[in-house]
Amino acid sequence: MMDAEERELFAKSLQQATAGTSGPALDAALDDLGWSDALAADPRAAVSLLFGAQGTSASTSSALDRVLLDALGPDLPPDAGVVFPPAGRWDPPGTLAGQSVAVEGLATHRLGERDRAVVVAPSGDGFVAALVDPGDLALRPVEGIDPRLGIVAVAGQAVPAAATAPAAWVEALAAGQRALAHELVGASRAMLGLARDHAVERIQFGRPIAAFQAVRHRLAEALVAVEAADAALAAGWDDPAPLTAALAKALAGRGAKTVARHAQQVLAGIGFTTEHDLHIYVRRVLVLDQLLGDAGSLTRRLGEDLLAERHLPSILPL
Amino acid sequence: MDLQEFRAGLDRWLDEEAGALAADPAVHGSLDAQMAQLSKVKRMAYDAGWMRWGWPERVGGLGGSPLVRGYLGEALTARDLVEPGIYSMTEVLAPTMIDYAPPELAATMVPRLLRGDETWCQGFSEPGTGSNLAALSCRATRDADGWRVTGQKVWTSLAQYADRCVLLTRTGTPESAHRGLTALFVDMDSPGITVRPIETMHGLEEFSEVFFDDVAVPGDRTLGQEGQGWSVAMDLLPYERSTSLWHRGAYLHRRLDHVLAAAPPGALDAAAVGDVFLQLHALRARSRATQRRLAAGERLGAETSVDKVLLATAEQAVFDLALDGLADGVLLGDDAASARWRSQYLYSRAATIYGGSAEIQRNIIARRLLDLGADR
Repeated sequence: MMDAEERELFAKSLQQATAGTSGPALDAALDDLGWSDALAADPRAAVSLLFGAQGTSASTSSALDRVLLDALGPDLPPDAGVVFPPAGRWDPPGTLAGQSVAVEGLATHRLGERDRAVVVAPSGDGFVAALVDPGDLALRPVEGIDPRLGIVAVAGQAVPAAATAPAAWVEALAAGQRALAHELVGASRAMLGLARDHAVERIQFGRPIAAFQAVRHRLAEALVAVEAADAALAAGWDDPAPLTAALAKALAGRGAKTVARHAQQVLAGIGFTTEHDLHIYVRRVLVLDQLLGDAGSLTRRLGEDLLAERHLPSILPL
Repeated sequence: MDLQEFRAGLDRWLDEEAGALAADPAVHGSLDAQMAQLSKVKRMAYDAGWMRWGWPERVGGLGGSPLVRGYLGEALTARDLVEPGIYSMTEVLAPTMIDYAPPELAATMVPRLLRGDETWCQGFSEPGTGSNLAALSCRATRDADGWRVTGQKVWTSLAQYADRCVLLTRTGTPESAHRGLTALFVDMDSPGITVRPIETMHGLEEFSEVFFDDVAVPGDRTLGQEGQGWSVAMDLLPYERSTSLWHRGAYLHRRLDHVLAAAPPGALDAAAVGDVFLQLHALRARSRATQRRLAAGERLGAETSVDKVLLATAEQAVFDLALDGLADGVLLGDDAASARWRSQYLYSRAATIYGGSAEIQRNIIARRLLDLGADR
């Protein structure tokens, strides 16, 4: 565990790295900073600080691969890439048939350069991680609504598996959901900050638009959404059950859309141009929401589970 | 005693005393019965020690972290032993007395409140000052023995049951705004006080109008210094939004559980159920963090407006869902369970009004947390 001083230093380094670099250069900077060692030693600090900063600066890295790998199990090569489920889904992306797998999903931009890709598939009551050669997968760079995110669509039929190992998918999913929720909260705070600064500076009718209650209440609503997601994230670490991670991801995804809506309205004309940075974050949160389960689908599934049980789970004791 | 130890001990005691603590099934339809039940539970819990943990020893407490008070109210609410609204006056007014009353007065009075021997009320709102508390006009003037109070309060919870009132008065000039306020601790049986309960939509006369006609209040009943009333009021609000709010969150959790158990198949939409649980979880996570900050000795302030917005929104969402799932009962049922749902549904409409309206909370968030400057 990092002490307060170490944590602050590490946070500063990560803020500098994510503000100055993105993509492969950020991966290299994270290697220099020893981020994966920090992930092993103090996952809460490593994940919250990096992904929060990544969200705030709208930078990208392949750190999510490492978060999932660390949680999936001990026998996987640490430099492998991970195939994530398709947009909006959170069940494992692979189907195992003998010694080969079929897969459909998404991955970070680095997958093509990796020696190995990890494809998780259901197996019996549990899950198995199949190690495959990325060269055997069809990889399509995804432009979509957020070209800067640099993700690839992954597909493969009857892909030979070099090896298989038991995989803790439920834990890995929770770890990934927490990381993405931090990134969403970081991006949400960035959007709110942009809108807040604009509201204070922009003069109309002889006063800052921040003086108008309609504007103030939008921004207040946005802050409540961010703080709710942030509190759920802290709860997700304090009580690290799979359910609390999913709840944090759902609140972060929903909160980010709330913030995006209000920030877009407050930033008005300038926020609709590409001269302003808002659009970068708006695009980013829409896609991050979809990774490892979007807020709408997670919420519906939660409701279905509650209706099947007819009883609320006891989580997060005081 | 730490929280784990308290939790285990309290749960065991609540199991053992379940029969004696249980409320009469008819309790929900009558505020008199709810108040009697509250006094009974508080007295039993005080005499067994549970109600004393988490309070300072100088007011009859046994010391320890205030977190245990959070758990006590949660457990009493979860077992349907007390209504959190009427229980909350203890959590709001005892800290005010501890912080601002002369020490002997606090030492005498607070145990009576904790033990359920007395009921207290909070005289803040007036007909002319709903959201704008600093404009209140109920006047206290100095005389030889202390104060004479003349004026009117409204929306005073439980005033008709109250033995004492934490009363906010104007002691400065009418223009002195928040600087000219003084808080007094008033005996409700003083000559010149008239209480008139208000009939409300939800069918329980929880609120009253209170009239003060030249009421004498001794000088040693001043809370804090003359002119310090605004601080008393501002320091009280975070208590309303910390421990009491945690209790109310636990109550909403319990009621959502009841909705799920009682709604007929097909009456509830999965996405709507998930959404309400998500809101309750956000409230619980936020309120839990606030409870922990309070226990760590942090001073709570404007950030608790976020908790209050989450609570009010979640409360209405829970009862909106109850209306969806149990429409027949809530709207047309004449049995006791339906009447309780109906009363609670209607009461939830006020969640965004009382204790600082939804608009006031957003104004505070805008001004104090987002630093948006003045609103004019």
